[in-house]
Amino acid sequence: MANKQPLLDVKDLKQFFRISNKFTVKAVNGVSFHIYPGETYGLVGESGSGKSTIGRSVIRLYDPTAGTINFDGVDISGKLSDTEVQHLRTNMQMIFQDPMASLNPRRKVLDIIAQGLDVHHLYQSKQEREERVYQILEKVGLSREHANRYPHQFSGGQRQRIGIARALIMNPKLIIADEAISALDVSIQAQVVNLMKEIQKETNIAFLFIAHDLSMVKYISDRIGVLHLGYLLETGTKEEIFSNPVHPYTRSLLSAIPLSNPRVEKHRTSETYDYETSGIDYAKGVSNHIDGTHYVHATPEELKKWL
Amino acid sequence: MTESKKMEEKILSIRDLSISFQTALGRVDAIRGVEMDLYRGETLAIVGESGSGKSVTMKAVMGILSSNGVINSGSIDFSYYDNHEKIDVDILKLTKKHMRSHINGKHIAMIFQDPMTSLNPTMNIGAQIMEGMIWHKRANKKEAYQRALELLELVGITDAKKRMKNYPHQLSGGMRQRVVIAIALACNPDLLICDEPTTALDVTIQAKILELIKDIQKKMNISVIYITHDLGVVAKVADYVAVMYAGKIVEKGTVDEVFYDPKHPYTWGLLSAMPDLDTFDDVLYTIPGSPPNLSHKVEGDAFADRNIYALNIDHRLEPPMFKITDTHYAATWLLHEKAPKVEMPQALRDRIDRMLKEASDDGK
Repeated sequence: MANKQPLLDVKDLKQFFRISNKFTVKAVNGVSFHIYPGETYGLVGESGSGKSTIGRSVIRLYDPTAGTINFDGVDISGKLSDTEVQHLRTNMQMIFQDPMASLNPRRKVLDIIAQGLDVHHLYQSKQEREERVYQILEKVGLSREHANRYPHQFSGGQRQRIGIARALIMNPKLIIADEAISALDVSIQAQVVNLMKEIQKETNIAFLFIAHDLSMVKYISDRIGVLHLGYLLETGTKEEIFSNPVHPYTRSLLSAIPLSNPRVEKHRTSETYDYETSGIDYAKGVSNHIDGTHYVHATPEELKKWL
Repeated sequence: MTESKKMEEKILSIRDLSISFQTALGRVDAIRGVEMDLYRGETLAIVGESGSGKSVTMKAVMGILSSNGVINSGSIDFSYYDNHEKIDVDILKLTKKHMRSHINGKHIAMIFQDPMTSLNPTMNIGAQIMEGMIWHKRANKKEAYQRALELLELVGITDAKKRMKNYPHQLSGGMRQRVVIAIALACNPDLLICDEPTTALDVTIQAKILELIKDIQKKMNISVIYITHDLGVVAKVADYVAVMYAGKIVEKGTVDEVFYDPKHPYTWGLLSAMPDLDTFDDVLYTIPGSPPNLSHKVEGDAFADRNIYALNIDHRLEPPMFKITDTHYAATWLLHEKAPKVEMPQALRDRIDRMLKEASDDGK
């Protein structure tokens, strides 16, 4: 793992939003992580923790306030040249949460999926364009008859497959999945997750998987990062995070997952964590190495207390 | 359990409910013979995929079916107390006007999925909580205000006096859902229906909200129906579970029976599809295919086409509810005495054994 070159390397990323002269929202406050090719990195945290902001900064929907983002050997955190934009927009793709809202209701599936090809002029003939869409459709478990339908004619799970197809057609190296399965039924979630895993095996795509459902994140991710209030509090492989959570916030997050075991779950109450009364100041903390790839954000005294 | 149950009073009893919708594509039989019972102070969870009819059933109970909905048959008997006088009604026979002035909000309250859309953005939350009390209970403003303060404290909102003047957009998602719960509880309902109450919320807040509802339920002795597709939530809150598929209940029982001894292949599939924190399998189990289109007439068992355990008869004749114990029923021909013996998938068996072991370890 160590001698491999990371595909995405985010260092000390800060993303602030100025609301007024006096008030700035520090949505992401010094976050560092990296993703290797073919790996899935899960970002978890409650709403407002900055997980979606990170995704959007990485794909450059925002201009990062500070820090560097290195993608595929190119620094993409500053002002981008045309070739860099071209490189970024083809090699990094995004899947959104609500498949109904993210697909244009007035266009056919064929045109929705081919839009990336259209924008970047990636085909020679109309036939080639259609052929590539058909191939992708089959890859995500739809058939070519579906190409001439409109988004409203599909079920939720099928729509999300269209979203995945739209991302895949560019042959990206990294896909950012922002709550991509949260809006789906449990049984459909499993289908979509299986599909993502299968595609990953085949094409060695890396995923940045942003979600708040920890059991799904645990299932799909190789490594996990826990965010709270713009700080990356703990990161490590899923085994490290789930079997040895160090930070009290991580522990409360894990204990909040309802277990599907009624006899255990009935008399279990979740651990509470309140940042304001806990006496922890994230701004003072630094990243501490625990073991392997396991890092915890804390001051030395706090770390001593938790271990 | 069964003996004490007979002492308890039945609050809701749905019999042979069948509902269709007239759509541009023809008639859709959304509910096809649902039967359900609920006792005072108990919690029922209805689980199933989208389109299985769980929300439609509950909308029928509230009398808020959309205008193209037709009730073909059945009865929904609901009993409630009005001034300490017990009243039994069949909700389906009541007029909309009567429902609005006597039942909805007063005796049956509902909590919806998205707290932002179920609150009025132009009214402060104090006024929204008081509204129901002033309307239904003829409370004067002062009483209502006092009660609203109590309710806000009950649902765990600190600094209630100040919060009364806040508007929904000034509150976080978890706070908003607490306000919605306060509104639902304002008139001391007998029955609380929660339609995916925590789906839009974070896990940490979800746990808090569920614990809150459970706590209030115990204090006020109300019955709660949860509509959800999260089996973890079911495990946490429910006494009874009803699994719905294509407009029918395919399995019902106590939460222990359904989780530890499921009988219907669809329930097996649901339980297997859920990732638990101990599985490291490569592929998550999925139920093959997709739910049937209910605008076509269903021949035999609606689940037969997706069911690898389907028998010949499944494609021709609809299975009745087979009784397993006094509380546990399942609609599958596999339970017929002449059916071949089929066990649940090994992976699920292993998982249930693991859960049982965990539970007994936990007890020690």
